[in-house]
Amino acid sequence: MSTPKKILVHVDGTERSITAAQYAICLASFYHADLTALYVINTRAMEDLLKARIFLKDEQMEYEHDMEADAERYLNYVDELAVKKGLSITKKSSRGSVHKEIIDLVKADDIDLLVIGELSRIRSRRDEFYDEAERAMRTVPCSVLVVKDEDKVWEMYESLV
Amino acid sequence: MSLIDLVVEDIVKIPMTSNDKPDVLRELVQTLKDAGQIDDFDAVLQAVQEREDKLSTGLENGIAVPHGKTAAVTRLKLAIGIAPNGIDFDAMDKNPSKLFFLLVAPPDQSGPHVEALAEIAKLGQSRAFCKALVNADDAKEVVDLMKGE
Repeated sequence: MSTPKKILVHVDGTERSITAAQYAICLASFYHADLTALYVINTRAMEDLLKARIFLKDEQMEYEHDMEADAERYLNYVDELAVKKGLSITKKSSRGSVHKEIIDLVKADDIDLLVIGELSRIRSRRDEFYDEAERAMRTVPCSVLVVKDEDKVWEMYESLV
Repeated sequence: MSLIDLVVEDIVKIPMTSNDKPDVLRELVQTLKDAGQIDDFDAVLQAVQEREDKLSTGLENGIAVPHGKTAAVTRLKLAIGIAPNGIDFDAMDKNPSKLFFLLVAPPDQSGPHVEALAEIAKLGQSRAFCKALVNADDAKEVVDLMKGE
């Protein structure tokens, strides 16, 4: 059986995505796989908010600046988590529609496993609540691992030598 | 994280009792306080008030989306207010606002904040859905409608 060689974890600043990153670090270590962490600055959503007049132009720029800082901070944090376990990762941030950026990177880097945080446990039938990670999960061409149970994952990460 | 994760009956105020814009903001923040979602009422109110001072978040079709960033919260917080008779919120179409979505986020979680606001923007495009929310009888019906049940 072949094992994953290239793993991608999507980081968005939520605790769920950090838990996913810890799990991805464990997997990359077990399988000696390359690990890439991706943060997408959701410029598409910000453009929509500007069009809907929920955002002012200067507010959009402020949020974009904040998200650039978030991207750096969270990717650095995941990098630190990996370094603690002797792993070197690739950090990437991009701009656009989250699920499209994930799909593009999966294809461009020939990723064979996408790791994402736990999805909403509430399944609304309204399309408006179809979140970006879930959309990516349904449309990427590779296998997807949805990480759950923060405490167990933390234990697994901590026990990793 | 999806907006739907934040929708519970405790954060829904229906009907709202406010008569003007300052009271609406206070009532929504108080709803979060009463639901145990926030501790610092004043800091949260100040965050949304500062944004409103720049330009009203009262949109068209009776929807308003007051929002702000504050370190007084550690996670994204949502309150929903429904005023079937409408309240003057200085909306862009000058009509009374009936449906209020208040969002407050910590400064270091802009990503989830933006995505939640985008979900509200999409919801607001459905006039039939907004009408159903405005005509809801109670918080349970609002939650059920949001979940699509």
